[in-house]
Amino acid sequence: MENGAALKRRQNGALESEILATLWAAKRPLTAGEVAAELDGTLAYTTVQTILARLLAKGAVQRQQAGRAHAYSAVLDGSGIAATKMRAQLDGSNDRTSVLSRFLQDLSPEDEATLSTLLELRRGRGDS
Amino acid sequence: MVAPPLVVHLPPRMATWLLTVGGVLLAAASSASLALLAFVAVGRLPLVASLGRWSDDLLAQRSPLSVALGGVAAVLVVAFAVRFTRVFVARARATRDSFRLAAELPRQGGELCVFETAARRAFAVPGKPGCIVVSSGMLQELDAAQRRALLAHERAHLQHRHHVHQTVAWLAAAVNPLIGANRAAVELACERWADEDASRVCPREVVAETLSRAAVGRPAELPGLALCAATTAVVARLDALRAPKRTATFWPLLTFAGAALSTAVAAVMSWRYTEGLFELAQEAYRAGRH
Repeated sequence: MENGAALKRRQNGALESEILATLWAAKRPLTAGEVAAELDGTLAYTTVQTILARLLAKGAVQRQQAGRAHAYSAVLDGSGIAATKMRAQLDGSNDRTSVLSRFLQDLSPEDEATLSTLLELRRGRGDS
Repeated sequence: MVAPPLVVHLPPRMATWLLTVGGVLLAAASSASLALLAFVAVGRLPLVASLGRWSDDLLAQRSPLSVALGGVAAVLVVAFAVRFTRVFVARARATRDSFRLAAELPRQGGELCVFETAARRAFAVPGKPGCIVVSSGMLQELDAAQRRALLAHERAHLQHRHHVHQTVAWLAAAVNPLIGANRAAVELACERWADEDASRVCPREVVAETLSRAAVGRPAELPGLALCAATTAVVARLDALRAPKRTATFWPLLTFAGAALSTAVAAVMSWRYTEGLFELAQEAYRAGRH
């Protein structure tokens, strides 16, 4: 069983990921207030601030002055290490041996068409 | 096949465990039976019989099987051993590569690594600790709740070590091609497990939306690897997320235990039978020498 400290650490890790993902998804730097608003109020403003400070200390985000507040943005992986490594991994291994779980397997164009139709149908039903 | 409905009708955690453990039991039982068949046939070769000090005549009389059948079994034993070794080495390498990759990837924050590409991609990279890799294109496609669902899904893969379940399913199928479909079933069960875990941090509809948003209009990066099973898997996951949540019940475990027990009893009985046969053959050998 997980003890309290480990559980808390994991929750903190999850919050860090969530805020980082928010910054990556945004097209421009966001202030702590904007991040909190983007997360639909699931996190308190002070929590967002604390986590942004931690991410800043880790060098995962950078900040700039935006009026009276700081605006944060994700630090780009300038050398593209992650992209290169992922590409090498994906090219080098085939599905037979890979242990990476993909969120989705690759779809054929026909598969995708089927899925789109299904989604359209459902959307249509939802509207009526 | 029994496996796909099993995946959909059971809570995914239970389905994953039943399929993995069941696969191992079946593989062990079929391997043991093949080995016995092969051994009885090989034991009838005069040279082996004299080395083992048993009577090849008695084996020939009493054995219910032809030499040809035993020979086929012996060939299969060797072939499956080779297959098992190959799969074992491949999976061990893939796991080592994954742990290396997880250690080398530049992490932003603790568990997350974002890489820049418009393609929608998300992976769980098993490691110590594991790493969640998501493309910037995927993050930009989703809203806040959907991003939370995606991260929770990938986290579940790492936390529950789904790659181990999948490796075990691969190894079991290597020695028993009849349960080859079990690999896809275990994979689907793991995905369902991660989907259900994600539904603990956001509504199930959001998990379903995330899945479909990620799937549709996704540029194909790896042409030639397109899998027809993929849609079935995605549609099955969407259906399962729309259906009411499955709760654990007692009867599947009972059924499973019954099947496992009968397999085990059958294996032990054939083993005891073979043992008895060889004891008789040894007695006949000793009697023949006097």
